[in-house]
Amino acid sequence: MKWGAAAVAAILLAGVVASGVQVVARTHEVRLLHQALEASRHHQDRLAAEHSRLLLERGARSAYYNVEQMAQTKLGMRFPDRVERVPR
Amino acid sequence: MKVWRHHAVLCLFIAGCAALAARVVYLALLDKEFLQDQGDARSVREVVIPSRRGVIYDRLDEPLAISTPVVAVWSDPSKRKLSRADINRLAPLLGRDAEQLADHLVRHANKAFVYLKRRLSWTAAERVRALGIEGLHFSEEYRRYYPGAETAAHVVGVTNIDDRGLEGVELAFDDLLSGEHGRKVVLKDRLGATIRDLEYIAVPRLGQDVALSIDLRLQYFAYRELKDAVAGHRAASGSIVILDARTGEILALVNSPSYNPNESLELGFAGMRNRAVTDNYEPGSTIKPFAVLAALETGEYQPDTVVNTAPGYWAVRRKLIEDPVNYGELTLAGIVRKSSQVGISKVALALPERAVFEVLQRAGVGDFVGSGLPGEAIGTFDDSGLRSEVVRATLAYGYGLSVSPLQLAQAYLPIANDGVRLPLSVVKLSQPPQGERVFAAAMTRQLLSMMEGVTERTGTAPDAQVPGYRVAGKTGTARVVVSDGYTDQRHVALFAGVVPLTDPQIVMVVVINQPSGPKISGGAVAAPIFARVAERALRLLGVAPDAQHLIAAVEGRRS
Repeated sequence: MKWGAAAVAAILLAGVVASGVQVVARTHEVRLLHQALEASRHHQDRLAAEHSRLLLERGARSAYYNVEQMAQTKLGMRFPDRVERVPR
Repeated sequence: MKVWRHHAVLCLFIAGCAALAARVVYLALLDKEFLQDQGDARSVREVVIPSRRGVIYDRLDEPLAISTPVVAVWSDPSKRKLSRADINRLAPLLGRDAEQLADHLVRHANKAFVYLKRRLSWTAAERVRALGIEGLHFSEEYRRYYPGAETAAHVVGVTNIDDRGLEGVELAFDDLLSGEHGRKVVLKDRLGATIRDLEYIAVPRLGQDVALSIDLRLQYFAYRELKDAVAGHRAASGSIVILDARTGEILALVNSPSYNPNESLELGFAGMRNRAVTDNYEPGSTIKPFAVLAALETGEYQPDTVVNTAPGYWAVRRKLIEDPVNYGELTLAGIVRKSSQVGISKVALALPERAVFEVLQRAGVGDFVGSGLPGEAIGTFDDSGLRSEVVRATLAYGYGLSVSPLQLAQAYLPIANDGVRLPLSVVKLSQPPQGERVFAAAMTRQLLSMMEGVTERTGTAPDAQVPGYRVAGKTGTARVVVSDGYTDQRHVALFAGVVPLTDPQIVMVVVINQPSGPKISGGAVAAPIFARVAERALRLLGVAPDAQHLIAAVEGRRS
């Protein structure tokens, strides 16, 4: 009887210690995951910022004016004379 | 002796335990609130979750206004002074002079917050961060860029320093565009890193994107031509409005003078006014087609009905209506072609009292356009004086009422769209809106053919011809009202056109306010701008030419 009570107590003690260790471990894991989440959010912000900058750059480079200038100066293109145009 | 020692140690031990227990009770029960607050104050933080303002796109998804994060670099000189070596390393990356920066910091040495640089680009800020200088702080802010610059400034508008819309679409769609910052409570560790999210106070709301009906390419050409013309004719200002004749979408809306929304500017600056929407002009002869339409609707007039305009002037009551020369006998089509004041007055006075007024009313003159752009002018247009013959005659050639360029374009839309009136929109539409039939298609077709005469060699605006396309339009040259009545010195030159005639795609209104060069008439000033912008627009929109055979003739005449 005496041995039985001691065994129960020992099991309970072991359980308490084990769950305590688990709590600490999970808390630590939550922190790590949270840090990863924060890093991802930061990354997302950076990508969004990058995207907006690229949109701006695309807008600037593809501005009709630039394309026309480039076509005329670099590629030597010109508007067709009116008689050269063929109706669809 | 042994027992005494044993008891003494036991007593000390118990006393120690009791002291600890008392301290625990004190801390955990009596002083708990204070300590908890102090702990929270060191680790619990409320942080802002930034939200960005929506992007404004044109109809081809080119950005017209876009917010991109930038960084403000600041320091706290009261806590930590930057060394001179650090300043020397820092200054070139911030684009500032090292001497100046050091000076600035010395002058504000006891301040707790000094901006070293605002609106620094993200990449530049990363390079500053990489220096690892202690005592630098970085906070994120958004800056709004306008790639269209002055070309689209009046449509797009600007925001103020708090990122709220002030003008144009930025103001009209402010609720949609502006996001709301969220807030949350977080737990931070000793190093300032977030450990856990505790509570969301407000969930951030992202700003919605808005796609406009504007085509930035057309906007660009229209603005360039307008700017050149306003400078060339030494005019006070000018506006061009281009509508999609099938949907009522505003493809381009430009004004000169304009402004660059990327630069900080003072409010109330004259260039900021969206004149095409907010300013009223007497439309002059551009109203004549509506009087002709009223005549056609009675059934008593046909395009070849003859009206005698001799001897070139006509007295209505005590008002003398004059043509520049004696046109003699003109058909109805000839009246439009030559823009005869006498002819149109005779036609208008032969019609029922309200006929011309009601045609204008159905076309939308005097109505709020409802384009969505702020500050729309409603103009003056009322029927109070219609009993007077003089009022009826002058109404027929465009005096005694005033419209904005946008309203005039709106009124021309049903003429181009087989008599169906459409609501105008500055927002890109996914499907054409429900129109309202206001004129019979046969009537507007007849009217358009008559208006083609205006751009023929014998008309008032041969310069409005677009090679390869048939153009219908009407010139207008209105005198400006000054404090003591109309003046012969200042004019408004207008041209309203529809192209291509056989299947109208665009409606364009060109208004040049107070040209002061040698040319002042709508046919000489506004019509050539129409032709140049329309030629580019039709090419860009891929509209098939409907008059190939006319090309050679135009080429011959131009060279």
